[in-house]
Order: sequence, then structure tokens, then C-alpha cells
Amino acid sequence: MTANETTTAKAAAGTAGAGAAGGTRGGTSVSLRSLTRTFGATRALDEMSLDIAPGELVALLGPSGCGKTTALRIVAGFEFADSGEVLIDGRDVSGVPASRRDMGMVFQSYSLFPNMSALDNVAFGLRMRKVGGADRRKRAAELLEMVGLAPQAGQFPHQLSGGQQQRVALARALAVEPRVLLLDEPLSALDAKVRLQLREQIRNLQQRLGTTTLFVTHDQEEALSMADRVGVMRAGKLEQIAQPAELYARPATAFVAEFVGTMNRLPGELGDEGRSITVLGVTVPVQEGGPDSGPVDALVRPENLTVAPADGGNGIVTGLTFLGAVTRVAVRLSGDTEVAVDVSSAAALPMTPGTAVQVNLPPVPVLVAHHED
Amino acid sequence: MAAVTTERTPAPAPAPAAARARRRGRAPVWRWVILLIAGLYFLLPLYAALRFAGLKAFGTVFTSPGFVPSLWLSIRLAAVTWLISMVLMIPTTVYVHLRMPGMRRLLESVTILPIVIPPVVLIIGVLQVMPLSLRASVWMLGLEYVILAMPFAYRALDAGLRAIDVKTLTEASNSLGGGMFTTLWRVLLPNLRTAVLSATILIVAMVLGEFTMASLALKETFPVWIVLFDQLNANISVAASIFALVVTWLFLMLITVIATRQSRRTGGAEVTLFTVAPRETIGN
Repeated sequence: MTANETTTAKAAAGTAGAGAAGGTRGGTSVSLRSLTRTFGATRALDEMSLDIAPGELVALLGPSGCGKTTALRIVAGFEFADSGEVLIDGRDVSGVPASRRDMGMVFQSYSLFPNMSALDNVAFGLRMRKVGGADRRKRAAELLEMVGLAPQAGQFPHQLSGGQQQRVALARALAVEPRVLLLDEPLSALDAKVRLQLREQIRNLQQRLGTTTLFVTHDQEEALSMADRVGVMRAGKLEQIAQPAELYARPATAFVAEFVGTMNRLPGELGDEGRSITVLGVTVPVQEGGPDSGPVDALVRPENLTVAPADGGNGIVTGLTFLGAVTRVAVRLSGDTEVAVDVSSAAALPMTPGTAVQVNLPPVPVLVAHHED
Repeated sequence: MAAVTTERTPAPAPAPAAARARRRGRAPVWRWVILLIAGLYFLLPLYAALRFAGLKAFGTVFTSPGFVPSLWLSIRLAAVTWLISMVLMIPTTVYVHLRMPGMRRLLESVTILPIVIPPVVLIIGVLQVMPLSLRASVWMLGLEYVILAMPFAYRALDAGLRAIDVKTLTEASNSLGGGMFTTLWRVLLPNLRTAVLSATILIVAMVLGEFTMASLALKETFPVWIVLFDQLNANISVAASIFALVVTWLFLMLITVIATRQSRRTGGAEVTLFTVAPRETIGN
């Protein structure tokens, strides 16, 4: 499951998964075709392609400056690509202004119109569509009810909390029944508890309405928990797009592996013409997508390693982090390699800093990457 | 050494609460003194003018020849100046904020030129190049005043635009189907009401008090009439000045009260001439 060239196939796979999670689907398809956008010497998007199936929620995840927001803004019509196309239901909308694209957007910063009440904010898009006064108010009230803010209909933005403002913004974006819903890090300004609540609310509404949604975030937990598929971006390119479980379990590149979740790097030696690697005294098969020669590291998740107290073992415990049912054990291996190993909290009881332990790698395929000092 | 050491040792600091109480007790006295001095500075000349004019002069000022036409001319010029300034400056400042934020400094420098260049130079230059038909018209003065008003209008609007997130509000409106005109009319202007009122206050005050240009252009605006009438009847002229001052002040107060009321309703900033105050939410 590698990058751009396989995104169409991913869309089909993603939709199948999405269908199971989301129930009834409808809506609009979105395709980005070879989008390139440069700002001065910086190439924000580099031949980026992506297909989003009708009713699907795709999250674009990546570090700051990877181009995810630029991609979203090009879909919204606030930016224009230097080359490439944006297709909505197969029709190229690259030259269509934002006001005629029929999309709803929730912004990162609070974007409610300060001079309007919550109800008037939600009704604004309907007014632009020449919906009559009574119908407009009725529909806006329904939307506010849907996001649980009916009692706040008459309040102005400055009288609402940040979470309430973003819920009104969501209702406002959905009121116009957009073909595509665009979410530009809408939760990043909120505190953890509100973020969690709103995250669930957005996902439930999106599934209920079946609106095709593109969601941009730098928070991997948010992306993995909400999206049907997650696209990981780096330097203007889509490194991999896959369902969350697949992205986590079978990252296509070292960057994806290390960006999503925690990953250990264990120095090893390639053998069998790059098809196997010897790590921690065990030879295991190598997953496709990495280098086949030179000094390499095996990339292994903390839960894929085992650790147990053992006199004369290959490591010493340097720390323990209690995470509830699981405890993360930090171990310094011979050769000064630090690794993290997740074990059940009960199994971690005999281990304290300084305990000699044996860390083992089960014989499963691993991803390899060029060695880093 | 011991003595020196003792002298240099600072006295024990007074308890913070006591110090605060003492500061609280002392501060209002100084405040009142400063207020009194400032009040005398402004009010004494007014009192002197009032005394010089005498109350009888106020009875005849309205019927004095030239009073009503000159005042009416100044009011019309203020209205025209305001209208042209707003039509030119609002779209310009919004455009610069949205599309050319890097040009803000340059625009600020350009708009400040009328303060640097003396009005005498401006009006003489204009009179040299202006066609005769326009030179004879009083509205030429309105066009000149637009230039004079530029620093005030720009700064008030710029401050208002900095207090709101113009880019996000515009994009939010666009994404909901609002075109540029609709966005300006329904979204940005209502949130710039305070800034527009601030600009109005400054423009009206400037036009009602401008003398140099009107005098050199040979137009009898209210300040010109006051100076001219001073040669016929100084008492009435001074009474007219005080009347103009009070009317202008009342007008400014009225605008301020209206703006503050509207601003409080929508959570905007308090009204000042160059307001820059971010809106706040009530938490997450």
C-alpha cells in the first residue's frame, strides 16, 4: 500500500470498510488529480492524487508544512493549484470560485460571524441560497437542535464557549447540505475533553448524513479514530492512504511507521539478498518497501516485542510508564539501543529500573529502514 | 564598616497589603490634581470665550447673516467627504488586508502624507491644475477633504479590521455561497461598525474645523464665516465658535453611545477612535 499511484484502489477498499462502519452512504465523490502548488521556492503539493468515495470520511494527517491544509484549501476553492485537477462527481471544478462550489467548511479558528446570533449564523448559507425566512429559521433551528445547541439559538458568538462555537460552525456548514464537508483542524483550539466529545459528534453526524468529508489534522489519534481512511502526507506527497488499522499495522514507509504510533528502531543485518534481517539474534522476513542493502534498522512497535526478567539477559530496564492495563517498559539493550516494550501491567510488576531482562522479537515480517545513528 | 553597613541596609519592606492600601489612598489625590489641571487647561479658554461673547450674543448668532448657509455648506461637505472616503477606503483596506497584507505598511505611509504635507501646499497645487469648472464648485473642496481625511479614515478602518479575523470570516462567507459584495455588506461591514463610526467622528470633526483650504479656495464654510464675521462682530463670532464646539461634541457623544451600545450587544470592543481589541470567547 504505497503512495499516489495506488490511491484509486485504496478508495474502493476504503469504501468497503467505511460502509461497514457508517451504514447508509450517499453523496459525492471527490478526486484530486496530480495537484501541484508552489509558494516561492516551497513545493507545498507535489503531484498529489487522492480519491474519496461518496460518503467517505478521509483524514489527511501529517506534520506542519506537509501540504495537507493546502490540499484542503484547493478543494474549497480558496487556493488554486499550479497544475492538476479537482473533480467533484467527475466534473472539474478547478476554475469554480469557492462561493459556487457548494461545500461546507469548518475552520481551525473560530469563524462565526460576530454580528449574528447562532441561529442567524446557521441560517446564513440558506439565505445565500434564497431560502424563505420561515423555512430558513426552521431549518437552522433543526440544525442547532442536532448539535445540541437549541437553547443557545439567540446567543451571539462571544456568549458561546469555544466548543459551542465550533458546533454552531458545524451546524452552519451542514445547513446548506453541502456536497462535500471540509474540516480544517476544527478541534485543535479546544481542550482535550471538549475535543473528544466534539470528535464523536462530528463522526456521528457525518455517518448519519453520509456527507463526503475531507478532514485535515496533525493529531493522529483524531485521524485514526474518526476517519474511514487516513492519508499520511509528507513534503507535499501522499505517502500512504489506508484504513486506520492497516496504516498502523502495515505502514508502507519508514516515515509512516514512525509518524503513526510509537516505533522502535533496532539495528540489524540484512541477509538472503535483502529478504530477511537478523535482529536480537533472530532472523525474520523483511516486509516490502524498505532498502535491500546497507546498514539498516528493523522497525518494530512496542507491542510486537516481548520482555521478561532474565539474569544475563540482553537489556536492563531504565524506566516504566504505567498506562492502565498496559505498562510501557523502557529497556537499554547492549549496544546502547533504547527500546520501548508494552507488556500487561501485571507482567511488569517484577520489573523495576535496573532489572536485567531479555527482549525478544517474534518471527513476524518487519519493515526496515536505513540505519539512523 | 558596621555603621556603613547599617546605613546601606534597606529598611524592612512594608507589608504588601499595607503598601497597597497606602498606594490606593494616595493615587486618587494625584488623579484628581491631574484632572483638575487638565480641566482648567481646557475649560478656562472656553470660560473666557463665553465671558467675552456674553449670553446675549447667543440669541442673535442664528440670525446673523451668513451663519446658516456657511454651517449648511460645512455639513454638506462633511457628508460628501464621509461618503467618498468610505466608498474609497473600505474596499481598499479590506482588499489590502485580504490579498496584499504585505502592502499595509506602504498604504499606511501613503495615507499619512496629508498630515506631512501642509494644507496650503495641497490646495495651491490643486488650484493650479484643477479645471476652472471644478475650481468654481464647492464640491472641489469635498474632494480635497477626502485627501485630508485619508489618514483618519484609513487608521480607524485598519484598526477595526485588525480586531477581526477578516480572512477567516471572508472565507467562511464564501464557502456558504456569499460573493464578495455580500461578504462585505453582510459580514465585514457590520463588524466594522465601530471603526466606521470612529472614522465618521474624525472626518466630521476635521471638516467642521478646517479653515486653511476653504479660505484659500474662497469658499465660505463655517470656520471661514467665523473668521470673517469676527471683523464685523467679534462677540457673535465667538458665540458661534462655542456653539459649533458644543454641537460637534454632542454629535461625537451621540455616535459614541450608539456605537458602544451596538458593540456591547455583539461582544465587540469599547468604542475609541482607534480601536484594536480582540474579541474573546468564554472558554472552551
